[in-house]
Amino acid sequence: MSDVVAEKVIATLASVKRIPAEKIALDTNLQELGIDSLDVFTLLFELENTFKISIPDDDVRSIRSVNDVVDGIKKILAAAPPQNSSSTSPAD
Amino acid sequence: MASRRVAITGLGIISSLGLNLAETWESLRLGRPGIGPIKSLDCSTLRFQNGAEVRGYDATKHFEDGREAYFDRFAQFSVVAAREAMRHSGVELTPELRERSAIVCGSAVGGQSSIEAGFEDLWVQGRGRVHPLTIPKTMANAGASQISMDLGLSGPTYTISTACSSANHAIGQAFRLVRDGESDLAVTGGSEAMFTIGMLKAWEAMRVIAPDTCRPFSKDRRGMILGEGGGMMILEPLEAARARGAKIYAEVCGFGMTSDAHHLTQPTVDGPARAMRGALRDAGLAPEEIGYINAHGTGTPGNDPVESAAIRAVFRAHADKLAISSTKSMHGHALGAAGALEAVATVMALDQGILPPTANYSERDPECDLDYIPNQPRALRVQAALSNSFAFGGLNAVVAFRAASY
Repeated sequence: MSDVVAEKVIATLASVKRIPAEKIALDTNLQELGIDSLDVFTLLFELENTFKISIPDDDVRSIRSVNDVVDGIKKILAAAPPQNSSSTSPAD
Repeated sequence: MASRRVAITGLGIISSLGLNLAETWESLRLGRPGIGPIKSLDCSTLRFQNGAEVRGYDATKHFEDGREAYFDRFAQFSVVAAREAMRHSGVELTPELRERSAIVCGSAVGGQSSIEAGFEDLWVQGRGRVHPLTIPKTMANAGASQISMDLGLSGPTYTISTACSSANHAIGQAFRLVRDGESDLAVTGGSEAMFTIGMLKAWEAMRVIAPDTCRPFSKDRRGMILGEGGGMMILEPLEAARARGAKIYAEVCGFGMTSDAHHLTQPTVDGPARAMRGALRDAGLAPEEIGYINAHGTGTPGNDPVESAAIRAVFRAHADKLAISSTKSMHGHALGAAGALEAVATVMALDQGILPPTANYSERDPECDLDYIPNQPRALRVQAALSNSFAFGGLNAVVAFRAASY
């Protein structure tokens, strides 16, 4: 599961910011990539749709690195199976 | 061009704190928030459930013969507040004055509930057509237009939409129209009614709404609380108001506006600071003459430290003597009406000598190190006040008010 989550987070991040995935490692600080709060929200929106989860606002504030995002998603996936949460996408 | 002093002779408001000025001020002066579970919508699919809704409002009591159906809720609030403000002003509307009366309103999202009802008809109900009044109810200028028709005022009439600064930009423009001799009366303020599922989902996605309540400047703040309502003021040349023996609540005496030129949602210290300095300069006020600031104070982690730093940058040592509060802690963040609700709160504070508190304040934040009038109102007469509004998109608008007794 871990590889899939990490790969997906990095691929999504690369797509959102249009940067090569090779430049992104787990310990990369998001700020170093020029990621601001709106980029983070966009990234999380995509990941919520991908994994069919809802990421709480309070979890978002402590995000600093790529690994923080990966760990957070793993915790949510471990706590509950993926769902068709209506709070992730109006298309749901 | 003439440069005239501008008096506020009428106030009208409808908010989660009350359906008129007396009710709303009673809550403000007691520090009693109007925040609670959102009742008008099913919020079970949202990460937050609380808002500051207008409660106990019956449109049919304000509009006869089914006319309320021609108004989106936000435009109803415009008219309800404008009528009250006009009634308080006691001004006699001659044919000449009607033609020289301006209306400048703020609204960020206009008739959101009307367009959303149309979308539901189209895509959820599959009806294939929408209500014929969808366009005139949705247009953001509907509030200003309806006031114009309702009160029979036919001078310059328009709406400004600059997100959370809309009403302050509107008040600033109306102030200049009256000050510069372009208009002899102005109705100005803003209204907003954003409680629709689509709108709340959009705010949820922004991740800036608190799951509990609005705690501006408090270390444990978790975001803003949305609030609906409308606020309107009547502006007149001071000399004309005095000549007819009108009650003068306060003066609008300055207006400053800037943009950050920086980021869609992250504020800067410099943009708001320059707007505050601009308002002081326009008013001819020294920083030391300001006694109270009604802060933008959204209760988000981002806004409050930046606004505090901006106040300190402008006022320097005097910043520690300022009384500051965010009344959003009580009436919520009314977006394009925020500046209007806060203008009414500020003007009443000057008139009554009672500064409304920042409610729900529980813990000092080292990054917000000023006097925010925590929880308890303060009996204090101040000479002049500022009301801050800073919008997404980096648009800043600050209005300066002077007490009528000075």
